[in-house]
Amino acid sequence: MLSRIADSLFWLARYIERAEDTARILDVNYHMLLEQSQDSYQLRWEPLIVMAGEEHLFRRLYSEVNAENVFEFLAFRPDNPSSIIQCISKARENARTIRDCISREMWEDINGLYHMVGRFSPRDEIVAGPHRFCDRIKFGTHRFHGVTDATLPRDEGWQFLRIGWSLERAEMTSRLVDVQYQNLLDELPTTGTPDNHQWMAVLRSVGAVEAYHRQYHSSIEPEKVAGMLILNPQHPRSIRFSTTEVQSGLRAISGSDRGSYANEAERLAGKVVERLSYDRIEEIFKQGLHSYLNELSAMFASIGSDIARNYFYYAVVA
Amino acid sequence: MKALTWRLLEYYTAMEAARPRAMIPSLFAGYDLGNFYDEMFSRPGEPRRPYAKVFERLASISSEQFDERRKLADLSFLIQGITFTVYSDGRNTERLFPFDLIPRILANSEWRQIDRGLTQRVLALNLFLQDVYGKQCILKDGKIPRSLIYSCPYFVREMVGVEVPRGIFTHVCGIDLVRDSKTGEFYVLEDNVRTPSGISYVLENRLVLTRIFPDAFHASEVLPVDHYPAELSRILRSISPRGADDAQVVLLSPGIYNSAYFEHSFLARQMGIELVEGRDLIVDGGIVFMKTIRGLQRVDVIYRRMDDEFLDPLAFRRDSLLGVPGLMSAYRSGNVALANAVGNGVADDKAIYAYVPEFIRYYLGEDPILRTVETYICAKPGDLNYVLGHLAELVVKTVGESGGYGMLIGPTADRKTLELFRKRISQNPRNYIAQPVIPLSRVPSYDVSSHRLGGRHVDLRPYCLFDGKKVVIVPGGLTRVALQRGSLVVNSSQGGGSKDTWVLRGEG
Repeated sequence: MLSRIADSLFWLARYIERAEDTARILDVNYHMLLEQSQDSYQLRWEPLIVMAGEEHLFRRLYSEVNAENVFEFLAFRPDNPSSIIQCISKARENARTIRDCISREMWEDINGLYHMVGRFSPRDEIVAGPHRFCDRIKFGTHRFHGVTDATLPRDEGWQFLRIGWSLERAEMTSRLVDVQYQNLLDELPTTGTPDNHQWMAVLRSVGAVEAYHRQYHSSIEPEKVAGMLILNPQHPRSIRFSTTEVQSGLRAISGSDRGSYANEAERLAGKVVERLSYDRIEEIFKQGLHSYLNELSAMFASIGSDIARNYFYYAVVA
Repeated sequence: MKALTWRLLEYYTAMEAARPRAMIPSLFAGYDLGNFYDEMFSRPGEPRRPYAKVFERLASISSEQFDERRKLADLSFLIQGITFTVYSDGRNTERLFPFDLIPRILANSEWRQIDRGLTQRVLALNLFLQDVYGKQCILKDGKIPRSLIYSCPYFVREMVGVEVPRGIFTHVCGIDLVRDSKTGEFYVLEDNVRTPSGISYVLENRLVLTRIFPDAFHASEVLPVDHYPAELSRILRSISPRGADDAQVVLLSPGIYNSAYFEHSFLARQMGIELVEGRDLIVDGGIVFMKTIRGLQRVDVIYRRMDDEFLDPLAFRRDSLLGVPGLMSAYRSGNVALANAVGNGVADDKAIYAYVPEFIRYYLGEDPILRTVETYICAKPGDLNYVLGHLAELVVKTVGESGGYGMLIGPTADRKTLELFRKRISQNPRNYIAQPVIPLSRVPSYDVSSHRLGGRHVDLRPYCLFDGKKVVIVPGGLTRVALQRGSLVVNSSQGGGSKDTWVLRGEG
């Protein structure tokens, strides 16, 4: 497989995943906040900007952090490189450069999604609220996963897609837990115990409310929620599950056996998986959730750059 | 159960037939044959034989129904991404290549004649290229002036003495034909033997049309076209320096900003070969490699969809970022095969065009089957005088341009344009040829504003593949149509569209 193609597949998947994660977070937050009092209403939008990693840009573009501005910024702004429409458009652009390597169905699906997204009027959607828009995005990305699953041979290309969206998802979930937890804890002194609704919202944003209830049969507790999102071996959006996917994908490409590794990306992915398999949530809290997740994020970044070094780039040899 | 279905079917068919024709606002209302050869009608309301079944079906649907199908077709092209990019207001917007749903139909006997004529022409063009980059017999025998060859910007000196694999220069040719309204006969208008594009539209148009008008298609018995990619793939493999079985074949594209990018990815997909860009390739020790996730992998055959001048910055344009440094030397030493060959532009130069009938007589000892358009070569003093004296009656073309650029259509040009061309021609006569205006034949085409059919001028570009021995031509080709009322320019860059072209199994 051409290096350029592997690169495009990897980023195609990352952009699709980023669009979906942003849509999920936007939608859930919006609805959670409708149930809140006015003063905390304002506060809740900050973490979304932080999570997207675009605080500076946001402050340059807007004077106020409110629902409309954040929605517009995260969903529609063409000058925000992480906005949903930008992610979809970049995913589609990547797909376009490699359309001979993906199935015709995949191309038509992502191309259709791109044209659909382009037809939304930001003004109308902002008035209507994010639900309708975010729902279409989620449905669109899910369908793309389904079409991919049903039509793409399980060759190296598929592995690069799998690594792309799993790595992006691991990073996004890690950021989500970190930012939300930080934020909710900051409020503890004034509001007493944090509101169940907010934790429920975190779970809902990764589609894990029902799984949580099945596993714990209890009320929503912050530590259990964090434990579920970080350590659960089965939930498709937990950090552990996603990292295991990254590891399996890398191994399938290099052909390395369990217990060995062919490159730095594999070594790091293996290390994270081991850690997440044997750590307990109490230990994590003892170390400090924020520093723990920070370490994970740094590892994910290294895995990403090592994949690029190994498979995508060619040093020009003079 | 089956019987019931049949009975229902019969019932509906009877209903259709019984429906009074006059009740339906016909697509053909007010259709005017004009002063041209109309390919569908011999006289008003009287369809020619090949069109009989299509006419019958079109006459039974209303313009609303037709418009619905048209929108369906457009949507299908949009979703498939069969678009080209235009730059306006500082943004890229994507446009559809307009596709007209009314097919252009040729009877089998008519096509067989064209097929024989094209085969002859492709063989002669290939022999000419072998000769002009080899022994140059035709120059020595004085059948074509040396000055015309050496002054052609597409004559590539680096190719002299190069032995191309299996002697093939013209792996793929697109030869443009037009039907003259005066005689009803086909003429060759120009040869495209460098990197002709458009075949993907032939295949996609067919696919869409069979989905939208399955009944008319089925009833007419149309010859298939979908073997093209397999034929091309076979030829590309056959020129591999390491044998066909292990051949690593790639398609070299300038990338997604090229207007034919859709076609590049389409063909790569259909042939199951890698689509590469210049940056994916590297030449090391005279061997071409592609950069893969497993390291460098040798490339044997490159189907390049890029002009000669961009192929290799070391040999041609030094500022080319699209090409591969060292590619020409790898090619010249026979380590990699290119299709089409480098230097083919000398054969489709519009001034050389006038000599192709001579090539056919000289190399094959045959009389040309297809006619060519009378051509005045401005490089010849006598022709130049005639052209300058009759500018307003002629079509003037720049010899090296394609895509409808650099053209003057005398009868419709204003005084200023005429004077501009007069000056340009006098300054650089070698760069121009002139031909009489050909009243192109017309085929009914849908007019979006009036919701009716109107006669529109068409040409035909069949795609010819040459494997070193025989010429394979998919029946039909791309019919391009000037959708603007009265326009003679069919190029997609100039507001033209395309039609599916049907060659019938019989006479219709």
